[in-house]
Amino acid sequence: MTTMTGGLPPPAPTPLFFRRGFRNLLAQGVYVGVTALVIFYVVQALGGREYGFGFLNQPAAFDVGNQWLINVDGTTNTRFTMYLVGIWATARVVMVTLLLSTVLGVAVGVARLSPNWLLSKMAMLFVEIFRNMPLFVQIVLWYAIVLFGLPQIQNALDLGDTFFLSNRGIAVPWPEPDGGLYGGPEWLTAVWAAAVAAAAVAAWFVRRRRQELERETGQPHYPNRWGIRLFAGGALVSFLALGLPLTIDVPVLSGTDYAEGLTLRPEFTALTLGLTIYTASFIAEIVRASIQALPKGQTEAANAIGLSGYQRLTLVILPQALRQMIPSVTNQYLNASKNSSLAYGVSYADLFFVANIIQNKIGHAVEVFALIIVTYMLMSLAISVVMNFLNSRLTLTRV
Amino acid sequence: MARTRIGLFAVAIMAMVAMVAVACGDDNDDGEGGGGNTLQTVIDRGELLCGVKDSQAGFGIVGADGIFSGFDVEFCKGIAAAVLDDASKVRFVPASAANRFELLSSGQIDVLIRTTTVTAERDAGRAVDFAQTTFYTGQGFAVHADSGFNSTADMEGATICVQSGTTTEQNLDDHFNELGFAYTPLGGEDQDTQEAFVARRCEVWTADQSNLASRISQLENPSQYRVLGQIISKEPLAPGVRDNDSEWKDVVNWVVYGLINAEELGVTGANVGAMASNPPNAAVARLLGVAFQGGEVANLGFDVDPQFVQRALRAVGNYGDIYERTVAEVGIDRACTLNALYTEDKRSCPPGSGGILYAPPYR
Repeated sequence: MTTMTGGLPPPAPTPLFFRRGFRNLLAQGVYVGVTALVIFYVVQALGGREYGFGFLNQPAAFDVGNQWLINVDGTTNTRFTMYLVGIWATARVVMVTLLLSTVLGVAVGVARLSPNWLLSKMAMLFVEIFRNMPLFVQIVLWYAIVLFGLPQIQNALDLGDTFFLSNRGIAVPWPEPDGGLYGGPEWLTAVWAAAVAAAAVAAWFVRRRRQELERETGQPHYPNRWGIRLFAGGALVSFLALGLPLTIDVPVLSGTDYAEGLTLRPEFTALTLGLTIYTASFIAEIVRASIQALPKGQTEAANAIGLSGYQRLTLVILPQALRQMIPSVTNQYLNASKNSSLAYGVSYADLFFVANIIQNKIGHAVEVFALIIVTYMLMSLAISVVMNFLNSRLTLTRV
Repeated sequence: MARTRIGLFAVAIMAMVAMVAVACGDDNDDGEGGGGNTLQTVIDRGELLCGVKDSQAGFGIVGADGIFSGFDVEFCKGIAAAVLDDASKVRFVPASAANRFELLSSGQIDVLIRTTTVTAERDAGRAVDFAQTTFYTGQGFAVHADSGFNSTADMEGATICVQSGTTTEQNLDDHFNELGFAYTPLGGEDQDTQEAFVARRCEVWTADQSNLASRISQLENPSQYRVLGQIISKEPLAPGVRDNDSEWKDVVNWVVYGLINAEELGVTGANVGAMASNPPNAAVARLLGVAFQGGEVANLGFDVDPQFVQRALRAVGNYGDIYERTVAEVGIDRACTLNALYTEDKRSCPPGSGGILYAPPYR
């Protein structure tokens, strides 16, 4: 060691800028400075105005279309009530979209893995087309197709006097509450609905009991079969016993619009169609990936014990793939629910559209947008809570 | 080491304070949140930012060549000429019904001239102050020529296309509430409502009557549609400026008044040069900012060149010139409407109609 002394000069002090301590402090200083600046600008920009949500309790003085099951006019109702109407419109689109896109997505995802060449290529084409086109473009395109492609109401396509197609909407038959054969009050329908719910609860308990028996005895007790029988039987018997307390309302043409039945307006149709197909194309890819991520042995084992193709899919593959899927599918659900605000492009009066009308009429942009943001956040959180619950259930129960 | 750290931290804090101080320093002249001095901003920038419509022939429309034209656009040019002495120094910012007031209050435009109706609620709010009305119209209805509708009394249960977030929407609601009729509104932007009406997604299209007439004149087959004579509201359309910006509002106001006064005094875009060099009377001389019979040039105290009205007149002509070039071109006659001068001879007009255009005197 001693031979080395004097060979090297003492190390020069590191320049200030290259010292770790200085750099850390500088970075922190810049961060604090930028944050303070942003806060300062926001406070500056928002200052000098009066805030408050009192304007929401004023009469709305506007009306919105596309209402369903409700009939709210803007003369006697407040702006906030109209906003709730908008939330209900958003909720309808989101619920239908999540349901349909899941069904369609799973079907396409499974089809992509089909040994049938035509089927799998068609599924691939579906995914590649709709996944790679901007959602807004698709929605506007569907709207243009529905609005300009379908005939005008005076030349509406009439399918057996039951379904009608025109650019005023797609009219379909729809169940309506009814007093039934014995001319009872309309709330008989509600009684029947309660009976159906009771049957569902009973069916659920019977199914669970039979599952337990199956586990204890090792003998088949057909829990699903008996559950379904009980549910369907209960619903049917109570329906007959109450004297058919429900009628099917068939649409008719009346002047320049439909009467009776249910009319899917072009705005709703275009938005839901666009959202569903777009979301389904992503869900299809998630389904495919989740299935392909399963070990090949699962398929081989299912084949080895002689399960049919359908049994293999529903009993072995999908239940396991489901656990992989749920977190990614949750993301797609959240995307779809927020993308519903693209309703603005086709004038569907959703919550964003209604909030914009309010903002446009009286200003208060900061409050209105705070309201919009909070509403969407609550909706996303609700979806997350449900999906996380599902996820925890599925990951706990090993298949 | 500890001491160095404290020293460095102090440097960081000072840097931060300096940044905030800089931020404070340039905050005074951007006119945010009301107030400010837009006139000085426009002069310093050398360009006027004017919020206009881009899709309504006769009022504000952008052509295939990207050039804006129309009644509102002419007033933008007039103001630019008055303030900057160059009618071309104006940038047109397309404003939608939905974003127009935000464009104004956030400083992205200096003046909003976009068929905007003056209402008490808008004026009382913090976003906008209205200048002198440039065009009087009312809410009307368009229907398909083969429909049986002759007035709103026939329209029970109809689907009605109406632009969202407008006074039109509110009038419609009030009117149908008064009639006791249910109706289904179909909202959207101006262009959306037009397309939906043409596709017969709605039976009735409501908007300012002048808007309906000008839009239908541009459709493929105008005879397929009818604009009903019925009017259900007062729609005075006026330029909007930011709240509490009185110098700027004065200039905008008096450009409009000046162009109306010019028409009354017989000063047109064609003769303004001759009038300026040889004014026929003191009123014309004052309006044009020139001396009359060797006297003093009157300076009325605006914060712009005393000849600002003359500049506007040279660029766009008087109110009547603008009307003839723009609104009249889309088939909306001026005679006997509210937009004729108050001096119009009303004996040839139907009872109860006739011009009310009246500007305060320029002195």
